[in-house]
Amino acid sequence: MEKKGWDEFEIGTILRTFEGAVSDIATTLPENRPYSQSSSFTASVADWRIEKPLFNKDYCIDCQFCWIYCPDMSIISRDKKMVGIDFDHCKGCGICVQVCPTNPKSLLMFSEQKDEEAALAEWPKKEKKDQSEEPKED
Amino acid sequence: MSEIKKIKNLKEFSTSADRFEGANLLCPGCAHSIIVREVLNATNDDLILAASTGCLEVCTAVYPYTSWDASWIHIGFENGSSAVAGAEAMYKALKTKGRLKQPDRVPKFVAFGGDGATYDIGFQWISGCFERGHNMMYVCLDNEVYANTGGQRSSSTPIGASVTTTPAGRISYGEKKNKKDMMAIMAAHGAPYVAQVAPNKWKDMVAKIQKGFAAEGPVYINAMSACTTEWKFAPEDTIHISDLATDSLVFPLYEIIDGTQLNITYRPKNIVPVRDYLGAQGRFKHLFTKQNEYLIDEWQKRIDAKWDYLQRREEASV
Amino acid sequence: MADTIELRDIEVWDGNMAASHALRQVQVDVVAAYPITPSTPIVEGYAGFKANGYVDGEFVMTESEHGAMSCCIGAAAAGGRVATATSSQGFALMLETLYSASGMRLPIVLNLVNRAIGAPLNVNGDHSDMYMGRDSGWIQFGAYSPQEAYDLNFIAFKVSEDHDVRLPAIVNQDGFMTSHTAQGVHTLSDEAAYNFVGEYKPMNDMLDLDHPVTHGVQTEEDWHFEHKARQQHALMTAVIPKIQAAFDDFEKLTGRKYNIVESYDMDDAEVAVICMGTSVETAREVALEMRAQHGIKAGVIGIRVFRPWPLEQIAAALKNVKAVATLDRSSPHGAMGALFNEVSGSLFNTDTKAVLTNYIYGLGGRDLTKAHLVSIFTDLKANADAAKPTTPLQQYIGLRGPKLSFF
Repeated sequence: MEKKGWDEFEIGTILRTFEGAVSDIATTLPENRPYSQSSSFTASVADWRIEKPLFNKDYCIDCQFCWIYCPDMSIISRDKKMVGIDFDHCKGCGICVQVCPTNPKSLLMFSEQKDEEAALAEWPKKEKKDQSEEPKED
Repeated sequence: MSEIKKIKNLKEFSTSADRFEGANLLCPGCAHSIIVREVLNATNDDLILAASTGCLEVCTAVYPYTSWDASWIHIGFENGSSAVAGAEAMYKALKTKGRLKQPDRVPKFVAFGGDGATYDIGFQWISGCFERGHNMMYVCLDNEVYANTGGQRSSSTPIGASVTTTPAGRISYGEKKNKKDMMAIMAAHGAPYVAQVAPNKWKDMVAKIQKGFAAEGPVYINAMSACTTEWKFAPEDTIHISDLATDSLVFPLYEIIDGTQLNITYRPKNIVPVRDYLGAQGRFKHLFTKQNEYLIDEWQKRIDAKWDYLQRREEASV
Repeated sequence: MADTIELRDIEVWDGNMAASHALRQVQVDVVAAYPITPSTPIVEGYAGFKANGYVDGEFVMTESEHGAMSCCIGAAAAGGRVATATSSQGFALMLETLYSASGMRLPIVLNLVNRAIGAPLNVNGDHSDMYMGRDSGWIQFGAYSPQEAYDLNFIAFKVSEDHDVRLPAIVNQDGFMTSHTAQGVHTLSDEAAYNFVGEYKPMNDMLDLDHPVTHGVQTEEDWHFEHKARQQHALMTAVIPKIQAAFDDFEKLTGRKYNIVESYDMDDAEVAVICMGTSVETAREVALEMRAQHGIKAGVIGIRVFRPWPLEQIAAALKNVKAVATLDRSSPHGAMGALFNEVSGSLFNTDTKAVLTNYIYGLGGRDLTKAHLVSIFTDLKANADAAKPTTPLQQYIGLRGPKLSFF
């Protein structure tokens, strides 16, 4: 974000989230919102990650645990179905993997550089015993 | 009076459009964010929000970014509650005088504050707001420490926790004082509704938030916020630690209506030993020594006594 | 719709009553306040108006002055006309929030009934609270009488709420000496008063639900300097012209003329005192007596706008004076008085070669008498004749015990 001079911004450290008028934000999906440059939605924390979650649709039951427990609004769910991960906003905390109830999990952590296709190909099979540790692939 | 948003199950809830944005500065795994999401998604009403100085405020409103999709104000550490109360008073005034820009829309007024702002430095301000009966909700994000400034004790810090200003050492086991009972104090203000919630029990939380929004007058919500950084556990374990907290009854989930009717809203199928809760966090690690382990027994006794008290009060309807 | 009151052309009001009527007349939307001597009657008067249906805004009786200003800030950010009143310890308690209000560029009017700040505890009038607020970023007006306390409230609302200003404003009046002393006050009708200030025009209002706005954002080393510079720019360039315009409009409406710097008998003055509050009128009387009885060409400068400090106007007013004394009604605690420092700063780098000295007086409600002023003007005459100080630079006047003076 460009560093403006003292005469180039609104007074009083006011920030406006949207461009223009918005009514009923609560029923407007993010992709349809007129975010301004001041909304952190337009920023990225991708560089915080050393690991990222990858999603395997084959095992997902759309329970939405990952959606609700993601602190960073980075699980994208549309029409009650898990769609994917917002990698601009995901900090790689790993909660989504922890709370995923399927066996094998539908979300697993991989190193940040891992290729998605390769990860899906290597996905672990169903475990017979209780999963107490998240399996880490490299 | 606006309709209460229907949230039958998690799939339905997942159609919510968050009014809180990512790429903020909160730690990975921060429970504050999960709580804020559940609170804001519990309603489709317009919101006027405030926050006291603390992790939430400092991480979501640093120039030139804001993570808030509703009007939001921060003044200082003590006065998130007063900020929203002042806005609520202005709402009433403009309504009386017919100057509201959107007269058919009734916003909800919500203030967020950490345990530092709520239990300590901002206590008087919240008490004043509640005594005056403003139509507002106050949500305390209770991580039992002044997390934003590096983890100093608050009056919410529980006995035996090792934090920077009450560290465990050769001759000290850490915090010596027991946690202040904010729920009882706020209920004693005669508030129509106070409730303790935890983000892992989303359905319980959302139901209580909706009850709070439907109540007339000031509502206090004490939200357990497991802090990966200060409680010292891995970021991915936030929900797991929250589960231990609610299932060991260290954080019992209950509500008090009109200061007198106490309802327990979550009864764990299997009650987990307090030891398991303490053992999962670095801030209690030093209790697992010969010198200090008597404190774990004391903890269990205290939690059992509190649970007993809550049940007795529920039964007696007082 | 609130009921109106038919005021007489002249009402006998003390400064507190005048202020509370002014607040009623401008139809404040939210008053959040806490009582403290000697400002308490302002909120009591306002409460009485509310109870009798003359106010339909909200009146929030908070649990402390810090709470009061915090609620005021929330209300102002929400978007409406906001006011409060306090003194001394209460002002000190809300000091933190004063910086917030001005940094957040929110119009709020505060009636500050000047009272000493303890310790020792004192409920009487001096200017220590006014001085404490110097750096807070608020506009500060000085009233010398109930009439002026009334009039300056209207000016304050008009200037503070202007979209080119958007800064909070204080109207100062002396505790007890103005606040509790009744005088004949020329009134405005409810309609004329309200129309002078006009309807509140919202800006960045939180209650505009279609335009969510974030107030009170944090700025670190990469942004803070620019934001504070912006605030300074407004204070240094926008405010005084707006005040002058408001003074001009007010004169057209009422015939009462206010000036950025009040100069009395300064045209040919060779000696002058600079002071604030009720001392101004006493000094004016004595100056006239010095002229009539002693042939000393004496004048008086009254500070009307304390913040922003009208540096150029002060320098202009003192241009040809030979000896000046600043009268400071606050304990300077290890320094020259605030007015002395501000005035010397204004005269440095100019051609004016006036002798400048400082008197500390009237602390905690101690009277400044005409006899005191006679001795001050006499000192000044001696300074003017000698073209240098003939007394110590700082003297305490009206004090029991051995003469106290410094430098």
